[in-house]
Amino acid sequence: MLLDQHSKYISGSSAILSFNIKTWSGAALVSLLTVLVSTANAATAEIELIIKDHLFFPATLKILAGQKVRIRIINQDPTPEEFESFELNREKLVVGNGEVVVFIGPLEAGQYPFFGEFYPRTAQGVVIAE
Amino acid sequence: MFLSAVVLILQEMLEAALLVSVMLMFTHIFSQLWHGSMQLTRYWVLYSIVLGGVGAALFAYFTLAISVWFDYVGQEVVNAGIHITTLSLLMLLAFAVPTTQLDANPLQRGRVIVFCMTGVVLFSIVREGSEIILYLEGITSQPENVSPVIFGGLLGAGIGISTGILLFYGLASLSSRWSFRVGLLLLCLIAGNMAAQAALLLNQADWLPYTPALWDSSALIPEGSIVGRLLYALIGYEATPSAAQVICYGTGIVVLALSPLSRRLWRFSAEDHVLPVGVMH
Repeated sequence: MLLDQHSKYISGSSAILSFNIKTWSGAALVSLLTVLVSTANAATAEIELIIKDHLFFPATLKILAGQKVRIRIINQDPTPEEFESFELNREKLVVGNGEVVVFIGPLEAGQYPFFGEFYPRTAQGVVIAE
Repeated sequence: MFLSAVVLILQEMLEAALLVSVMLMFTHIFSQLWHGSMQLTRYWVLYSIVLGGVGAALFAYFTLAISVWFDYVGQEVVNAGIHITTLSLLMLLAFAVPTTQLDANPLQRGRVIVFCMTGVVLFSIVREGSEIILYLEGITSQPENVSPVIFGGLLGAGIGISTGILLFYGLASLSSRWSFRVGLLLLCLIAGNMAAQAALLLNQADWLPYTPALWDSSALIPEGSIVGRLLYALIGYEATPSAAQVICYGTGIVVLALSPLSRRLWRFSAEDHVLPVGVMH
């Protein structure tokens, strides 16, 4: 008797649980697709970043918020440098007199500092998304 | 220059040292699991470190050529490949455990296990070592940097290696039950880390699409702080991980947690030091 009443509650709550899982997974799928589609439609901006004398030129990169950006990092020093940013979650080694590409974004509006890990005192910069 | 050399070398060494200690620990764990039927020696570590050093030098030499591949994202692709290979070796290691107690081929299995462990250590040394080599090569081309960087590097390397040794002996000093569980936990975290790093690298190369950051824990543990960097080197801590990273990390953990090795270790540690004597053929 008690067990029957109890099992009613159990089946009731599991019904609620399955409803939530379906809703949340559906919502997650829709939002993921929306993000993917919206980023696929946005054009990719191109920026050049030059490393010379252990400094970044330009030290301030201005980009549009919500846009994917392809950064060409050109190392004009004979020594390697590592482009790193905690806020951007990017870490890329550039050999001396080498050139590499890093993709960032889409970013929310804000400031995202970056630095050169091998010469952190001089190589500093910031990406400003607005 | 001195301080940044310490931090950089320390970070790279820690990442490799953790893997070496955990793999060495598993040599010990496997020998305990197959008490009598299979003894794993530790000589493979020497071979993999030496080979890893050679590999790191080669990788550093070819970095310029590699960085041009795939429209200048070659480094990310190759590094992601290395991470995925390490992950695969860890999974092979976890699944190479026999499901039955009676093992017809312990020698063969022992070889597979040693192969996996050698590979994992080798690739981690190639990864971290090549970056150290390039850094030292570049820095020491300027004579005023040579001594602070050499001393800083030695200090950072010393701290990194000591941490690895401490970790190994710390794990070994635990009782069998806990060393199994902690070793397993570390293995799961390492596997998750490998998967998440691969996802991050491929996103950086635009081979994987953007996924939004799931949380921002930089108020709790900033990535640039000492704790943050330590956690990054050990388990790949990120303050703002993307959804793809979290999913890959979780998948790595789950796959390893459900592997035969995990089940054996968990079951073994649950029974009180009952070595299945009669069972080992």
